[in-house]
Amino acid sequence: MRRTRGEQVFYMINYVLLTLVAISCILPLLNIVALSLSDARAVVSGKVGLWPVDFTWFSYHSLLTGTPILNAFWNSVEITLIGTGLSMAVTIMAAYPLSRRHFYNRRFFTMAMVFTMIFNGGLIPTYLVVQNLGLVNSYGALWLPGLVSTYNMLIMRSYFENLPGEVDEAARIDGCGELGLLFRIVLPLSKPLLATIALFYGVGYWNSFMNVMIYINDTSKYNMTVLVQNMIMSNLNVQDFTDPTMISNLTPEGIRAAAVIVMVIPILAVYPFLQKYFVKGVMLGSIKG
Amino acid sequence: MKGELTAGKPRLEPPDSEVRQRIRQQRLRRFKTNIPLILMFLPVILFYLTFRYAPIGGLVMAFKDYNFYDGLWHSPWVGLDHFHTLFSDPRTVEIIRNTLFLSLLSIIVGFPIPIILAIMLNEVRNIAFKRTVQTVVYMPHFFSWVIIAMMIMTVFSLENGIVNRWVEAWTGEPYPFMYNKGSWIAVFVGSGIWKDMGFNAIIFLAALTTIDPSQYEAAQMDGASKLRQIWHVTLPGIRSTIILLLILSMGRVMEVGFDQVYMLQNSNVNEVADVISTYIYRTGLQGAQFSLTTAMGLFESLVAFILIFCANYIARRFNEGLW
Repeated sequence: MRRTRGEQVFYMINYVLLTLVAISCILPLLNIVALSLSDARAVVSGKVGLWPVDFTWFSYHSLLTGTPILNAFWNSVEITLIGTGLSMAVTIMAAYPLSRRHFYNRRFFTMAMVFTMIFNGGLIPTYLVVQNLGLVNSYGALWLPGLVSTYNMLIMRSYFENLPGEVDEAARIDGCGELGLLFRIVLPLSKPLLATIALFYGVGYWNSFMNVMIYINDTSKYNMTVLVQNMIMSNLNVQDFTDPTMISNLTPEGIRAAAVIVMVIPILAVYPFLQKYFVKGVMLGSIKG
Repeated sequence: MKGELTAGKPRLEPPDSEVRQRIRQQRLRRFKTNIPLILMFLPVILFYLTFRYAPIGGLVMAFKDYNFYDGLWHSPWVGLDHFHTLFSDPRTVEIIRNTLFLSLLSIIVGFPIPIILAIMLNEVRNIAFKRTVQTVVYMPHFFSWVIIAMMIMTVFSLENGIVNRWVEAWTGEPYPFMYNKGSWIAVFVGSGIWKDMGFNAIIFLAALTTIDPSQYEAAQMDGASKLRQIWHVTLPGIRSTIILLLILSMGRVMEVGFDQVYMLQNSNVNEVADVISTYIYRTGLQGAQFSLTTAMGLFESLVAFILIFCANYIARRFNEGLW
């Protein structure tokens, strides 16, 4: 169909606006990358834009050698990997029975879980529960209270429910029990969805901030989010660095920029591979509500 | 088994007992297939009881004077005292007002944007361009607020932020974006929108794919311009999704994300930037005023709960309710 003049104008404006939106999402990141790779003098004088000025790895070098960022990085990895594994396991353990039509009281259990989405005890009572269980200052306090996200569980449940019923019948005739059905049929058929939900949990654990700040007292157990936040807040104690040559060449901005990049890289590394899955996953979840 | 005791009644005929037998077998089979499911589900029940329902029970603390020695059960009751304290203190009233103001503003300004973005993306015919834009605008959703707060402070920094270098070139003076109340609110709302607009657009994009293309053709035949097509075809097509998400967002009116406020706030803007979640963290956890802040939390949850119900009630009158 031929485009009218009005449509041409519409499409042009549309393309321009979308390009601007996309640029606004990229530029701040490029600015941070440039800052992290620029010489201290250029950073201080405000010369750095989107391209590094007087390229140097110095910020990264001092970040890695002068701060506990590496330790925090591995803490973040530990929190994320174990937490995501646990959350996935228990979410499947919740979603699968609820998706089976013959499961006892499935409606009641679903309602009881949904209720916790719209009404909850809040921070202080939850804190006291965690404290009474003796979980303070251990990663259990990060993993257990957030084990299942009811929202993710509901998405998973409706996905399981919508798998074709005939496969189910056939498997049962072949002598497959409930567990066999779950592991041999349901989970393999749900890979895109499982990847999506694992990504949601993973990002949640990787970015976890408030919980770490509340429950973890031992600074050597901090994850990167809290460590970097502390570095930003405390204006970075330059005295922390033992090597005097470092101090003269350091800028807080450069170090912080480098820390942010270290925190972003793992997300950017997995993001392109998982993007197609989460778009599909969110869409599947949204259609069934 | 019960049937056999009522012997003598004509219902007890051989074919009937056969039926009963079958029913019993079916029940037994149902029970057997349920065993693994129940075993699998037990930890889930345990989780919800411990970490979701126990804290709800812990809300009684709001009506007690909690202290460590007596514990939750033996602390003395104080009735609504804590609520009186909260609502008569101008500081906490201000905090409640800030929370409502920031979240309502975020919803009013932020809610239409993902819809507009989804419609714009939906109109793009060039697949490569569409993919690229999508990939980029989804990305900020996956960054933590530490990263985004850092980007904001860098970009808007007084001394050497890019934005202020433009502002300076334009007006001769840098502008303290993060230290003026008005501009702080703008940065706060804007950053929330910026972080999640792409991701929130996904759901609307999904809803848009269900609209029948022939409707657009018909509208075009009738001479509808592009904007009119969007108004009369696209928007009604995703109406139920829009209402659903609006109801859900009503539940979040009382909560302003802790991370976002905590990382963006500074002492210059506390008057507008202190919200319920930061208050509970500071006064409750750091100041150990458990009962008072639990009362605040309960108030927050209740208002959210009521708002969801009201929004759903209204939506139901248009046949679009959640339940």
